[in-house]
Amino acid sequence: MAQPQSGSISPLTSALVAAGAGAAVIGALAASGRLETGTAVGGALLVIGLGWLVGQRAEAAKAAPAQALAAEPGRSEPPPYASLVNALPDPVLVIAAHEPDDLAGRRFVLVNDAAREFLRIQNDAGLLVTVIRDPEVLEAVDIALFGGRSAEAVYAAGGAQDRVWRASAKPLDEAPNGDRRALLVLRDETDIRRAERTRADFLANASHELRTPLASLSGFIETLRGHARTDEKARDKFLTIMQAQAERMSRLIDDLLSLSRIELNEHIAPQGEVDLALAVMDVVDSLGPLAADKSVRLETDLPGPGAAIGVGDRDQIVQVIQNLIDNALKYSPTGGAVAISLETGLTAEAAVAARLPQASRLALLTPDHVHGVYGVLRVSDAGPGLAREHLPRLTERFYRVEGQKSGDRSGTGLGLAIVKHIMNRHRGGMAIESQEGSGATFTVYFPLIAAIKGQGTRHAPIVVTKVS
Amino acid sequence: MNEHIVKSYEDELNTLTAECARMGGLTEAAVADSLDAVIKRDRALADAIVERDERLDVLQADIERKAIRLIALRQPMANDLRRTVAAMKIATNLERCGDLAKNIAKRTLILADAEPMAPLTRSIERMGRLVCGRLKDVLDAYTSSDVDRAILVWTRDDEVDEHYNSLFRELLTYMMGDPRTITACAHLLFVAKNLERIGDHATNIAEIIHYEITGDEMISADRPKTDALRA
Repeated sequence: MAQPQSGSISPLTSALVAAGAGAAVIGALAASGRLETGTAVGGALLVIGLGWLVGQRAEAAKAAPAQALAAEPGRSEPPPYASLVNALPDPVLVIAAHEPDDLAGRRFVLVNDAAREFLRIQNDAGLLVTVIRDPEVLEAVDIALFGGRSAEAVYAAGGAQDRVWRASAKPLDEAPNGDRRALLVLRDETDIRRAERTRADFLANASHELRTPLASLSGFIETLRGHARTDEKARDKFLTIMQAQAERMSRLIDDLLSLSRIELNEHIAPQGEVDLALAVMDVVDSLGPLAADKSVRLETDLPGPGAAIGVGDRDQIVQVIQNLIDNALKYSPTGGAVAISLETGLTAEAAVAARLPQASRLALLTPDHVHGVYGVLRVSDAGPGLAREHLPRLTERFYRVEGQKSGDRSGTGLGLAIVKHIMNRHRGGMAIESQEGSGATFTVYFPLIAAIKGQGTRHAPIVVTKVS
Repeated sequence: MNEHIVKSYEDELNTLTAECARMGGLTEAAVADSLDAVIKRDRALADAIVERDERLDVLQADIERKAIRLIALRQPMANDLRRTVAAMKIATNLERCGDLAKNIAKRTLILADAEPMAPLTRSIERMGRLVCGRLKDVLDAYTSSDVDRAILVWTRDDEVDEHYNSLFRELLTYMMGDPRTITACAHLLFVAKNLERIGDHATNIAEIIHYEITGDEMISADRPKTDALRA
């Protein structure tokens, strides 16, 4: 057993440990950079570094599970690798177990900050199954603990952003009290998997939806080259239709591309600050002429600038507002009005609360972690409204409500799907309230900056409560 | 090593919760896999789910036995009693979810013989993902003792019902349009119903968690409900 005892670190051990720690960083960097060859070597050395750290900490963690990785009193110097392991971008857990049969008794004895945040761990030690219960991951951990070899599993964590991780378990050496130990490292593979799926979806959608306008274009070209060659009146008419079809195709491609882009980044929360009131005003100004053409009034009820600062990507938020107002305009009767209101400081529950007692209501998107206050945008039209059975499918790609005309400027069928994916990326929510015959109200809510600053995490509204 | 064989009272309670969480993980996997099997028409996966169901039955019996033993020997009070009873009830609900997943897997074996129906499968997938999310949320609420999260699952049960109603209509349209699809559609209808039932079990678990932590029962009349037969 090469377990250095706390307080008496031999020069040889410190040298070994320093090498291990350096390698831990390399390993972590290699892992995040996906350098496959580097990962294996780095990972192995990461095990050495952590093995030492656990040796130092296991007993203390068990006796007083507080202030993980902090400097322990009575030691001449704080462990230099504590902050290092904490700084690793991937979630890292050290698992200990005593008996192979006690399946629910595996404990985590050391976790880094990334693991705390991702798995929402509040204690420094506890039962593993209360934080990860995926059977495949647990099996991989068991192989590392009692089989003495490394094992991997795919961990589909689910949630609104549908994240996928690769869980690698590696055996560590035994604890002084005879407990078996293993290291569990999670690596985010959402990007890779999502890229594969998005490409497949894009191809399927594009080939299917582009076929119709394309078929109509080639039909007209054939006619123009054939018997309509000399008919000037028909030629003008056909060319107008062809232009409209070509424009539709180009809109479709734009929307599909923008949807693909949003989907690829959906699990990465945006970082900027956006004044929601100003963004709404900008969109209302830009859609003014279109509304005037249709003789539809745009009625706004907005707070002043600075009252609702959301966390987000301005272009995407503008796209949400634009798609919603555009949609409302499409279904508004001539001479009607579209009401746009922005409220600030509401809880998520208040945001989706019933406004019309008679109407059907459905949450189309609800964030995983609801907390704090939101900026709530509501866009209402006085159009034909929607029957209840259509509501669950509204954000589906290319879903169209039968028998509803959206006017001359027909959409691509992707507008609401785009809104939903952007809202999901922003960790916000979306709901619809509608009554057949008297219009529909779309509600979207964004987390506000005040709510996020309060908890110290910059990029995502995830509650990480630290127990001290 | 004897100190680990004779567990403390607190350890026994924790073990019960942990066993429940582990069973929850297995149930989640069974439901998610059964959905995958339907979507991908994967017979091998469906067979594996049917086989794996026994593990859930064994676990449920084990949790029940441990809970009864704990009640008999330790005579837990208040909080601890609620925790013990909750573990027992949650295990029963999870076992039912496992059975429903097994039933979905069995229907997959029949559906795999019929013609594929892409749009319907997509609707099933959407509803299934929603139900899986519900199950995950409620189990997360259980392991982290988070009442608010449990309440959120409880109040949002109607979304699953909406999806079920929408799918019900869609299936009817198909069956009326082409009688040859009736067999497959009828099986898909049962798959949808099973998913809806799993959603109900998630709601039940949310109620149990609420009772476990607060000691108060939730009033079902307060929950937003959709009339499932209206469609």
